[in-house]
Amino acid sequence: MKQKIIEFIKKISSPLKFIKTEKMGNKQNIIKSVKNIFSPSDSSFKPYDWMIKSTPQQEWIKEKGIFLWLAFFFSEIGAGLYFMSMFFQYRLGLILGWLITLVLGGSVHMLYLGNPKRFWRILTNISSSELARGMWVILVFAILGFFQIFTAKFNPFLNCMLGIICILIIMHGFATMNVIKALPSWNSTMVLPLSIISGIWVGSQIFQFMLSVSGSLASGFEIWSELFLLVYIGLIVFYLWGTFHSSEAAKKSINILLKGELAKGFYIGVIVLGIVVPLFFTLIMWGGNVNAGLIFFRMVFVFAGDLALRYLVMKSAVYQPLI
Amino acid sequence: MTYKTDEIWEDKWINTTCGVCYCGCAAKVRVINGVPVKIEGIKESTMGGTGAGLCGKGVAGLMYYHDPNRLKKPLRRTNPEKGIGVDPKWKEISWEEALDEISTKMKKIMDDDPNKIIFTNQTMRASDGPHNQPYIYAKAFGVEDNGNFIIGGGSLHCGNAAHMLGGLIHGAWSIAPDWKYTKYVLKWGSSKGTGSGHSAMTNARLRADAVRGGIKEVVFDPMGNFAGGKATQWVPILPGTDTAVGLAIANYILNTLKVFDSLYIKAKTNLVYLIKEDGTFIRDEKSKKPFVYDEKANKIKKFDDDSIAFEDFALEGEYEYKGEKVKPCFTRLKKHLKQFTPKWASEISTVPVGTIVQVAKEWVENAQIGSTITIEGKNFPYRPVSSVTFRGAQGHSNGIHQVAAIDLLSQLVGAEDVPGGTMGWPSKRQKYPGGHYERLPKIGPDGVLIPAVFYSHMPWPPHTPTIPCKNSGCVDFWTHSTLSHIPYVKERDYIYEKFGMKSRPEMVFGIAANFIISQSDWNAAVDFFKDMFVVQIDIWSNETDEAVADILLPDVSYLEKDCWSSEIDAFFFSGSPSYEDWYVHMQKPVAKPVGESRFFMDVYIEVAHRVGVLDKFNALMNDYYSVEDEELKIKPNEKLTWKEIGDRFLKWIYGKDAEKIEKQGFATWHKPIEDVYWRWHVASRCPVYMEFLIHDKKAVEKILKDTNFELDLDVSQYTPLPDWFWPTSHVELNEEFDLLAFSYRDILHTNNSTFQNPFIDEVSELCPYTFTITMNSKLAGDKGFKDGDIIWIENKYNVKEKGIIKTMEAQHPKVIGISGQGGLWAKGRPIAKNKGSNFCKLLPTYLRHYDPITGNVETSVAVKVYKV
Amino acid sequence: MPRWGMVIDIKRCIACWGCTIACKEEHFLPPKVFWNRVLIGETGKFPTSRKLIYPVLCNHCDDAACVEVCPTNATFQREDGIVMVDYNKCAGCRACIVSCPYQQRTYYDKNIKDAEYFPGQGKTEFEIIGEKLYPFQVGTVIKCNFCYERVDQGIENGLIPGIDDDASPACVVTCPVGARIFGDLEDPESTVSRLIMEKKGKQLRPEFGTDPAVYYID
Repeated sequence: MKQKIIEFIKKISSPLKFIKTEKMGNKQNIIKSVKNIFSPSDSSFKPYDWMIKSTPQQEWIKEKGIFLWLAFFFSEIGAGLYFMSMFFQYRLGLILGWLITLVLGGSVHMLYLGNPKRFWRILTNISSSELARGMWVILVFAILGFFQIFTAKFNPFLNCMLGIICILIIMHGFATMNVIKALPSWNSTMVLPLSIISGIWVGSQIFQFMLSVSGSLASGFEIWSELFLLVYIGLIVFYLWGTFHSSEAAKKSINILLKGELAKGFYIGVIVLGIVVPLFFTLIMWGGNVNAGLIFFRMVFVFAGDLALRYLVMKSAVYQPLI
Repeated sequence: MTYKTDEIWEDKWINTTCGVCYCGCAAKVRVINGVPVKIEGIKESTMGGTGAGLCGKGVAGLMYYHDPNRLKKPLRRTNPEKGIGVDPKWKEISWEEALDEISTKMKKIMDDDPNKIIFTNQTMRASDGPHNQPYIYAKAFGVEDNGNFIIGGGSLHCGNAAHMLGGLIHGAWSIAPDWKYTKYVLKWGSSKGTGSGHSAMTNARLRADAVRGGIKEVVFDPMGNFAGGKATQWVPILPGTDTAVGLAIANYILNTLKVFDSLYIKAKTNLVYLIKEDGTFIRDEKSKKPFVYDEKANKIKKFDDDSIAFEDFALEGEYEYKGEKVKPCFTRLKKHLKQFTPKWASEISTVPVGTIVQVAKEWVENAQIGSTITIEGKNFPYRPVSSVTFRGAQGHSNGIHQVAAIDLLSQLVGAEDVPGGTMGWPSKRQKYPGGHYERLPKIGPDGVLIPAVFYSHMPWPPHTPTIPCKNSGCVDFWTHSTLSHIPYVKERDYIYEKFGMKSRPEMVFGIAANFIISQSDWNAAVDFFKDMFVVQIDIWSNETDEAVADILLPDVSYLEKDCWSSEIDAFFFSGSPSYEDWYVHMQKPVAKPVGESRFFMDVYIEVAHRVGVLDKFNALMNDYYSVEDEELKIKPNEKLTWKEIGDRFLKWIYGKDAEKIEKQGFATWHKPIEDVYWRWHVASRCPVYMEFLIHDKKAVEKILKDTNFELDLDVSQYTPLPDWFWPTSHVELNEEFDLLAFSYRDILHTNNSTFQNPFIDEVSELCPYTFTITMNSKLAGDKGFKDGDIIWIENKYNVKEKGIIKTMEAQHPKVIGISGQGGLWAKGRPIAKNKGSNFCKLLPTYLRHYDPITGNVETSVAVKVYKV
Repeated sequence: MPRWGMVIDIKRCIACWGCTIACKEEHFLPPKVFWNRVLIGETGKFPTSRKLIYPVLCNHCDDAACVEVCPTNATFQREDGIVMVDYNKCAGCRACIVSCPYQQRTYYDKNIKDAEYFPGQGKTEFEIIGEKLYPFQVGTVIKCNFCYERVDQGIENGLIPGIDDDASPACVVTCPVGARIFGDLEDPESTVSRLIMEKKGKQLRPEFGTDPAVYYID
C-alpha cells in the first residue's frame, strides 16, 4: 500500500522533475525556476498583441501589485482564524487572527498602496466602491474584535455580528475582484464561494495547529478539516468548470491555468501543494490519528497551495480583446 | 490648469519645415523656456495633413534635437581597419583640423581628376535642407552629369524608373491620383495617400477626403498592409509582375472592349508618329521632326504641323514614305498588346483572370471618355481614373516596363494631368507675384516635355550611350539612370575596365547617408568604399560612418537649421499636386545648434573656399536662381553664409515680400488651375512609344560587342513598347529558395534614420509588422512557423538575416515581407541598435540584378527561410 | 452643459500614430506610457482578409467603471463628461486600472518616473521641463483627460472646442487625415452628433456597458 502511494506521488509530481534537474543546492536557480513557473518569461504575448489578443491583467499582480495578493491572503486567513476561534471561544486564536488581519494584512495593504498616507481617503466612496466598503468592514472588525478580545464576551449578538464581518473580510479580496466586470474570470459567479471556503479552510488550519501546540490536541476538530478540505477541493473544481463555461475571455483564463503558460504553476502549486499533499496528510490522520507535526506540515502546504491558487487566479485574468 | 504656467517665461511657436522624411510638410514647433517641446503642422498651409495635422514620425521629430547621441564635435577615425562591426575608435578633433584635412585631400584629388570625388545628397535622413544645391556644389568641383552622385537608399529608397517616366510623361519627379476629382484609383506597389511617397501627408489628406467621398481604390500589392489594408479591393500579386497585369488590362481595353480616348491619343501622345518596319520614326531630314499622317489631307506631315486638326491624325493604316511602308505607332501597340491575354497574365502574377477583366471594365466605365468638367469657369476633359505606382512595383530588374505598362492605362483613356486623372506634381511653377524666380518646362525634341527642374540629369532629350565613361556612375553608358547604381554593383571594376572609366573614386563627401547598409549586399558596398577617404556630415555616427568613414562632421538637425531654400525648387515633388495654392516653406531654427554642429551648406561653402572653387559655386548659384539684380548676386571672392545668401536671394525670389515671408517662414500664392491640369494647355506629347530605346539599344549593343563585355546585361529590354521580362528574383527561384522576400515602407520610418528616435521606437513595438518579418499564416503553418519564432532568411549568395515571424492573412503566400532597414548595429545610435531586420543586405548585387535601362536594383529576392 | 465626445473615422485613419506621439508631447508622458494608441489587427482569411485599425484612447464613458470603483473619489467625471483623476486624492489602489475594460489607465510609479527616453543617458531637456511644467505624482494613476486644459482654456478665450484647434484635444489637431472629430454630443447640430447619426457611429465594445463617449465610423 505504502509503495503504491509513493508511486502515485511520483506520478503526479512528475512536473516537479525539472526542479530536480536544476541544481537543487543552488538557491538562485531555485528562485529562478519558481519565478519561471509563476511568471513565465517566454510569454508569447507581444506589445503589439495588447488588447488585440486576450490581454493579461497585471496591475494587481506584477511589481508592487504582488503586495495586494499577500494583503488579501493575510486579511482573509486572519479573519478565517478569528472566525473559527470564535466558535471555540479560543482567545489566543482571536488575538492572532485579529493581528494577522489588521497588522499583517493591513501593513501589506499599505505597502501595496501608491500613496499610503492617503489610506484614510479609501473610506470616502462607500456608495459604489467595493474597496471602500471592504475597508469599512475591516475598520468595524478592528473595533468590535478588539472589544471582544478585550472583554472576552461571546454573546450571540456579538458573535453573529463578528461572524458576518469575518465572512465579509474573508470574501473581501475576491469580492473586490469579483465586481470587476472587465475581467470575466474574476467576475465569475464561482469566485465568491471559493473565496469563503479558502479563507475558512486556511484559517481553520492555523486554528487547528494552535490547538495542537497548546496541548489540546484537537482531534475532534479534524472532522471539520476533512470537511473543509473536501469542500475546498470541490469549489476549486466548480470555479474552474463554472468559469470555463461563463464567457470567452474567462475560458481563456482557465485555459491559461490548465494548459497555458501558468499550467506548471497550477499543477505544482494548487494541485500538488494545495490539494494532493494536504489530502495525503488528511488520509494519514483519517479516523482521528492526529499529530501536531502532521498538522503543522499540512498547514504549511495549505498555505503554499492557497497562496498559489490566489496568485494564479489573479494572474490568469485576461481582458477581452477590443477588436 | 495642470500646466504650471508660473514656471513659463517663454512660450512661442516657430514655423518651419518638417525634416523627418523628404516630403517637407509644413511644421511648427512649440518652444517653452528655450526648449522645443511639441511639433504640429501649420493649419494655414496645404503642405501636409488636414488642418494642423502632421504624421507620427513628423511629430516625433522633436527627438532629433534632444538625442544625447548627437555628434557634438568633428571625429576622426584612429583605427585604420575598416569594415562592418569594426570600432572606428573615434577621436575628437577641432573643426579647423577637420576642414584642413578635408580640403587638402580634396585639392590633391582635384588636381588629378575631380571625378574621383563622390558626392551624396541627403535623402537617407530626410530632405531637411536644400534640394538641388548638392548637385550644384558637385558641379562646382567639376563633376559632370551628376554621375558621381550616390544616395543612401538608391534601392529601397529611390525610384529610377518611376522618376524617369515621371519626368518624361509629367515633367515631374513622381505621380499621384487627382484625389479631388477622381473616382477610381489603381495603385501598384505604392502607398500614395496611405503614408508614403512624395508629399505623403498632403496626399493622405486628399485621399482621406476622396475615400470619404466614396471613390474606389484597387491596390495590387503583395501585402494588404498600408496601401492594401486600406483599399476598397486588395489584389494580392507577386512582386515584379505588375507589367503582366497592366499589359493584359491594356490589351483587354484596346482589343476586346475596343474603347479608348482617341482624341487624347491623337493630340497628346507620340502614338501617331509614323514608324518604319524597324520601329524607328521617319523624320524630316532637316528638322529631324517625326512625321504623322493627316487623314483629311491624306498627307504625311510633320507632327507639329498646325494645319492638322487633332481628330485628323491617323492612328491606324499603312502609308508609304520614300518607298518604305510606314505605320502609326498605335497600330503596332495594338498588335503588340494582343499577346498579353488575361489568362497569360494570371499565370504569371497569380491575379485571377476575373479580377483582371473586372478592373479593365471598371477602368473604362469610370474613365467617362469624352466627358468634360467645368472648374472655376474653365472647361477640362474629365477622366476620373488614375493608375499610380512607385517604389514597390518599379523597383525591379524590369522596372521601366513595369512603370510604362502602368502608365499605359492612363494614356489609353486620356487620364493624364486632367481632372480626376493621373497627375504629376505641377510641371511649372510661376513666379511669386512681384518676385522673379520661376520654373517653366520646355518642349523638347519630338514634342516631349523637358521638366522645369529635375534632380540628376534631365530625362529628355535622351543621350546616346557612349564610352569611355567619365565617372564612377558610368551614366555615359547608363543614360537613363536617375541616380547611378554602378558603385554598388559587384562587378564594377570589370565595368570600369571595359568602359574605360579611369576615375576610380578616392573620396566620398557625404551628407547623412547610410549607403553601406541601405542599398544591397553590405559587403559589396564595403569593398568599394573602404579604400576611399570618406567624409560624412551627419547628426549621429551611423553604420556607414562606423564601417568606412574617416572624418565625421557634426551637422545640425532640421530643428536647428536656418535654411531659406528648403522647398523653393522642390515643387515638383513637394507641396500639393492638387489644385491648391502654392506653399513654400523654409526651415527656421527653433533652438541653437547642438554642440559645435554646423549646417552642412556652410561647411560646403567653407570647403569650397579652401579648395578654391567657391567662385564657381557662387556663379552657379546666381545662375540657378537666375539672379539678374547685380546688387543681389553673390560676387566673386565673396564668402557668404547660407543665411546671407538667402537674405539676398529671397529678395530676388519674393521681391518686396521677402522680409515678411522670411519672418512667417513660408510663402503662399495662387496656383492657376491651368498649371495643375496643364495637359491640354501645353503643346507637348507623351513618349508612350519609347523610340529612343531602339537607338540606345544599337549603341549599347555596339559598345558591348566592341568591348567584348561578358556580363549578363539584357539588351532586349531596350524596346519601345512595354513588354514582359521576368524579374531576376523570379528567375532565381527554385525548390530550395522558394520564397520571394520583398520590402515595403512603414509609415513610421524613413529608411533607417527614424530607428534612432525613441518616440518612434516605442510605437514601432506596438505595431505588429514594423519590427517583424511577415508571412502568410497558411504558409507559416505549412513551414512549421508560428508568431514569435526567430528565423533566418537566406539568399542564394550566402547572405542571411535574422528576424521575428509575424503571421498575417493579408499577405501573398509566396512572399515574405520586411519593412526595410532595421537590423542596425552602430554604437552611435543605441536606440536603433538591434531593432527589426535588414532587408537591403539580402539583395544580391550582380549587374544582372539591375534594370539594364534605369539601373533599378531588383528589390525582391529569392530566399529560403528556416528556424534559428 | 455640453457633453464632450469624439468621433474617429476609421475610413480616413491610416495608422500613422500621429495622435499617439502628439499626445505624448502634449502631456510630457514618460517612455512606454500611452494615453492614445492604435490597435492594428486583422479579420477574415486570405485573400479576402481585412486590416483593422482602431485608434483608442480613454472613452470618457458615461457609466465609467473606473469612477465606480474608485474608493477615494479621486477619479471623477466632470459635468461635461470628461473623466479625470485628481492626483491629490488618489491613494494609488489601481482598482480603476484593473476595472477599465479598455485598459486606458497607467500607474505612475517610480520606475516610470525614472525611465529615460535614452536609457542610461540621462533625461533630455524635454523630459526635465516636462516634469516641471506638467508634473505627475508618484503612486497615482494617470490617464487621458481629453486635453481638458485646452478645452477649458479655449472656452475661456471664447473659442469653440471641436472647431478651434486651441480648444480641442491635441490628438484631434494633429491627425493629418482629419480622422478625429471632437465636439458636443448633446448638441444635435454638432459635427460629432451629425456624423454619429449619418454614418451610424458605433462605440467600441458597447456590450461592456460603460457607454463610451468615443464613437467610430467606417
